[in-house]
Amino acid sequence: MELLDRYLQAVRKYLPTRRQDDIIAELRANMESQIEDRESELGRPLTRGEMEDLLRKMGSPVIVASRYQPQQYLIGPSLFPLYLYVLRLVVLWTLIIYSIVIAVVLPLASPDHSDIAASLLRTPGVLINVAAWVTLVFVAFEFFAARYPEKCPPLTCLADNWNPSSLPPLEKADVTGRKPRSFTQAVAEVVVGFLMMAWLLLIPSHPFLLMGPGVVVLRVAPYQLAPVWWTFYWWIVGLNVLQLAWKTIDLARGQWQQPAPIRQIIFKAVGVIPIALLLSVRDHIYVVLKNPSADQLRYGHNLDVINNSIHLGFSVICAIVVVQLAWEIGQIVWNAYRLREAAK
Amino acid sequence: MTVAENLFESLRLELRRGSLTLAVLAQLRQEHYGYTLRKDLAERGLEIDESTLYPLLRRLETQGLLVSQWREEDKRNKRFYRLSPEGEQILIRLLDEWQAINASINRIFEQPQS
Repeated sequence: MELLDRYLQAVRKYLPTRRQDDIIAELRANMESQIEDRESELGRPLTRGEMEDLLRKMGSPVIVASRYQPQQYLIGPSLFPLYLYVLRLVVLWTLIIYSIVIAVVLPLASPDHSDIAASLLRTPGVLINVAAWVTLVFVAFEFFAARYPEKCPPLTCLADNWNPSSLPPLEKADVTGRKPRSFTQAVAEVVVGFLMMAWLLLIPSHPFLLMGPGVVVLRVAPYQLAPVWWTFYWWIVGLNVLQLAWKTIDLARGQWQQPAPIRQIIFKAVGVIPIALLLSVRDHIYVVLKNPSADQLRYGHNLDVINNSIHLGFSVICAIVVVQLAWEIGQIVWNAYRLREAAK
Repeated sequence: MTVAENLFESLRLELRRGSLTLAVLAQLRQEHYGYTLRKDLAERGLEIDESTLYPLLRRLETQGLLVSQWREEDKRNKRFYRLSPEGEQILIRLLDEWQAINASINRIFEQPQS
């Protein structure tokens, strides 16, 4: 019986404190009866191996004790859908607000932008923190609802008291034939847009964000970027600001399901301008020498190759973008024609 | 275990869960303690693990469906359970419910397959 005593001692450790003695006494009585029955069938005491088999069949002490706990979950099935909904909403809005703070408030507060990178890296921690607090609140509610049901309002009333007439109108597919965007998608686009803005604004002072370890090469190489890149850079920033502003306005006005296709085409068309700007640079000068007088002879040929390669690269990109734009314009026109024919 | 066997086992446990409560309540129309209850149910074809049955008895008692008392039998203190008055009423209603479900399932199986 020493093994039984050790088993019951182990189970006791994980039992609710108030009922330990009672539960262990009952378990002992039942198991001793079982052992007695088995021994009278065999006509002899159980061997150690047989005793171990019996205890193994009973189950691990932790599992056995856990079944005596009143509640086997942190957030129960009736509360879980609401918890999930609130969690998604809170995390999404935290992400939006935090992104706005990083992209707009921090640059104004710290001109050297030193806090922005650190704040970006803190984003996962902030979101986990918020999710943990929401979870804690719901766990607390579940705990009190289980123990004091008469004091907690029934949450089923939230599910029961809804009006079918207040359902949103039927969503139509947009003229490109794609499914309407979800709220989550629209929010994610805005959040990513703000994070992209922060990243873009940091690049001039922290070039490693764009080039990674390659920034070392840029420092030691005899080349440097031509002034045209600043024009290109500010065009990109301007376009991003414009696009982000439109997306944020759409989200605030509740019009995220159907982004205006014409506006998307306009953004894409305007996006060709900075590429065209680069292609129109005189003599295709994108990279210059830091010390032309000293390095022209040695690196002049390489410089030509680099500049021509960049020009070729951007020519290809421009061609791809133009073809893509033409294709999307064609798709919109075709789908609009199809919808008009179907409506007749 | 294969995926299909795991799925079957999970569904089988779900199917048994409600039936076990009904079987335990029905058997406790007569007084039992944990071990004899398990033996009697096993003799009638319903095997239940001890680690499932004993906490279930506690839970049913907490819900007011069972009453229990400690008594000495064969020089050992044992906790005997039986149905409470509320438990008897619940048992009748559960039995009606179970029989209705059983009859519905039989009708579903009896209907010709199109």
